[in-house]
Amino acid sequence: MDLELSDEQVWIEESLGTLLDREWPPAQDAWQAGAPERTRLWESLVEFGLLSGAGSDLGAIELCLAARAVGAHLASVPLLGGVGVRYALAPFAAELPAAFGAILESDSRVSIALLEPGGSWSVSSTHATVESNRLTGSKAAVEHAADVDYLAVVTLADGEPGLALVRTGTKGLELAPQPVLDESVPLSRATFVEAEAEALVDRELAETIIERLIAVGGLLAAAEAVGAGAGIFERARRYASERRQFGRTIGSNQALRHLMADLHVRQASGWSTTLFAAATLDDRMSGARETVSVAKAYVSRAAREVAHGSMQVFGGIAFTEEHPAHRFLRRIIAREQQFGDAVHHERELGRSLARAATRERVAV
Amino acid sequence: MQLAETASERVLADEVRAFLSRARLRSEDLPRELDDRMVALRSWQAACYEAGFVGRAWPSEFGGGGRPPAEQIIVDQELAAAGAPEFVNVVGLDVLGPSLLRFGTDDQRRRYIPPILRAEEIWCQGFSEPEAGSDLASLRTLAVQDGDTYVINGQKTWVSWGQYATFCGLLARTDDSVPRHRGISMLLVDMSSPGVEVRPMTQITGHAEFSELFLDDVAVPRANLLGQLGDGWKIAMHTLGHERGTAALPRQVKLRTWLDRAVSVAAHRELDGRRVLEDPEAQTALARALIGVEVLRHHAYRTVGEFLSGGAVGPESSSVKLLMAEAEQRLAATVLDVLGPTLLSGAPDETAENDFWYETYLYSRAASVYGGARQIQRDIIADRILSLPKE
Ligand SMILES: Cc1cc2nc3c(=O)[nH]c(=O)nc-3n(C[C@H](O)[C@H](O)[C@H](O)COP(=O)(O)OP(=O)(O)OC[C@H]3O[C@@H](n4cnc5c(N)ncnc54)[C@H](O)[C@@H]3O)c2cc1C
Repeated sequence: MDLELSDEQVWIEESLGTLLDREWPPAQDAWQAGAPERTRLWESLVEFGLLSGAGSDLGAIELCLAARAVGAHLASVPLLGGVGVRYALAPFAAELPAAFGAILESDSRVSIALLEPGGSWSVSSTHATVESNRLTGSKAAVEHAADVDYLAVVTLADGEPGLALVRTGTKGLELAPQPVLDESVPLSRATFVEAEAEALVDRELAETIIERLIAVGGLLAAAEAVGAGAGIFERARRYASERRQFGRTIGSNQALRHLMADLHVRQASGWSTTLFAAATLDDRMSGARETVSVAKAYVSRAAREVAHGSMQVFGGIAFTEEHPAHRFLRRIIAREQQFGDAVHHERELGRSLARAATRERVAV
Repeated sequence: MQLAETASERVLADEVRAFLSRARLRSEDLPRELDDRMVALRSWQAACYEAGFVGRAWPSEFGGGGRPPAEQIIVDQELAAAGAPEFVNVVGLDVLGPSLLRFGTDDQRRRYIPPILRAEEIWCQGFSEPEAGSDLASLRTLAVQDGDTYVINGQKTWVSWGQYATFCGLLARTDDSVPRHRGISMLLVDMSSPGVEVRPMTQITGHAEFSELFLDDVAVPRANLLGQLGDGWKIAMHTLGHERGTAALPRQVKLRTWLDRAVSVAAHRELDGRRVLEDPEAQTALARALIGVEVLRHHAYRTVGEFLSGGAVGPESSSVKLLMAEAEQRLAATVLDVLGPTLLSGAPDETAENDFWYETYLYSRAASVYGGARQIQRDIIADRILSLPKE
């Protein structure tokens, strides 16, 4: 048990901050960034080594460091899918079908397609199916679908989950942009009608990989929300030390001091639980799934609280379109929604507590 | 960062379990009467010390185990998971011991540390006074030097375990002429000294776990000064850092066992013909309580885990303290919500369990007061972490 970031992890954290400062506009202007900026940032992240494939020693902790930096800069890249899919696949490189293995060896961009229109984030509400390498079904909230090369699609047949890879240009796949709260994370609906797909047929392997994919996806979303929370909170903290009313700085009022102290606790502990959960994934510990649910549920509520509290510190100015506060708020809500919000994970945890207790009772 | 247990940590966990299968004391088997309970708890801590499970990360030259801090976490976890009670000398172990290690002379450490570990000498903390609570630096208890002794006069209050303590880490004013934070010193007071009077106070739980302490011309040898004259405030901040931060490590384990116990009770009790735990709302409420406890663990590991061996805990211990109070209070209140009317059924075989939850609930209300009230922790964060302007 070793609970501190290694020197190398600290180095990665710092280097990514520098990289984003250099390759991406300041957060308040980030919403103006278009395809060229996105591509450039993505390419420099690839160059940095964020995608290094099979045998990669990038764990969930390093990936969370990257996601947090992306959130703090309000950067817009298909990170979740790009690194999440690789993280989920990497330990099983030797057992994967060719197309999946190829992802690990390439720089191709991938998005995850899990949620379905009208469904929840539970794999059990999936209807998409694959039959003889043809995928049929529909998915919602697929991130950056227009910018990626592949979709990694979760399917379900006879209660058994599967994972399929579909090229984005493929016949039978239609992408339609969805209205979104955070325009810097574009979402699409994807409709598949017998679209050509490469499926992972080994059921057990598919199940393991999907569980890992959903876990790391949720954690990366949480890490990004922590980053966005840090972005808005740090700005609020500075504002509170400068803005004056009643002849004093507003941040000298205990009501605001205490509010911000509570927000700091949410920020700091949200990051602790994200890192801890990432470590349980990296070490493939039992109970990792529950720990990820703890982190995702907690950060979902915490980041929202941080955004709300920070906006209160800003007063009216944060309600203008020009002010970046709402950009952070939007990103935070967008990340809260991906891979299950607080309520979703609290229910999952509650059910798992109940299941464990019932097993115990039967055993007694 | 790596969480998986190393081979030697696994061996240690097995060792603790093996020990527990031979010698085991469960919280619920303790005598109800406080004096008897203290006797049982002291011999329990002594047995655990002999087995190497107390002060495992403390320096070996003073009787500690000299092992990495992570090992103490593992030991605490195994003990708590088995329902073992907390170590009775908690003030010595989690609060004053670290300050003795850090600021004490070698003579002092050799004299005081081993009996703390073996629970031969119980310690108490004499900081608060009737007129100096949150505003601790306004304390008025006076220590006046007279040759080779200090003569102390004043009053302390809320002194946990005061009536059982052999020694008290006491803050007194030794210099009136300097700014108030700089005129305070920390003295190690023998509780059997003439002029010390202890009056136990009964708490809302019905137990007399803290005391008032009256000091009337109490003579303390100069050798019992901890650190330098005027270092008292600095030492107190170190002490409180451990009380707020490091103490969360064993505490979160305790909270986790309570959570598991609550889940198990909810799985057995029935309401309107179905198990309480089948209600999705009860499940979610318990899940939220679990999240509080787990996040406390994660945050404490990251921020204070490395200080188990006595180092200075920074202001982030205040965030741990706030989470600890929140987790404990949410858990305790959640259990009242979840068990609901089953608490009122009057079933004789449920009385002991109900009493446990009532007491846990009542005690949880202190969590945002002792060790520095919630509002004070927020002020510390606002000043020292966020650098916000002062009022
Ligand atoms: C179970 C228990 C065990 C304890 N054990 C010990 C012990 O062993 N040794 C020891 O020395 N002490 C002990 N204490 C005392 C504890 O440290 C004090 O109770 C605590 O510091 C608060 O002081 P007070 O009770 O005088 O409340 P006060 O300081 O009078 O505070 C009352 C309320 O006012 C608020 N308040 C005070 N100042 C401010 C401010 N500037 N801004 C905003 N709000 C403010 C507080 O937050 C609190 O809500 C114990 C207390 C309890 C409950």
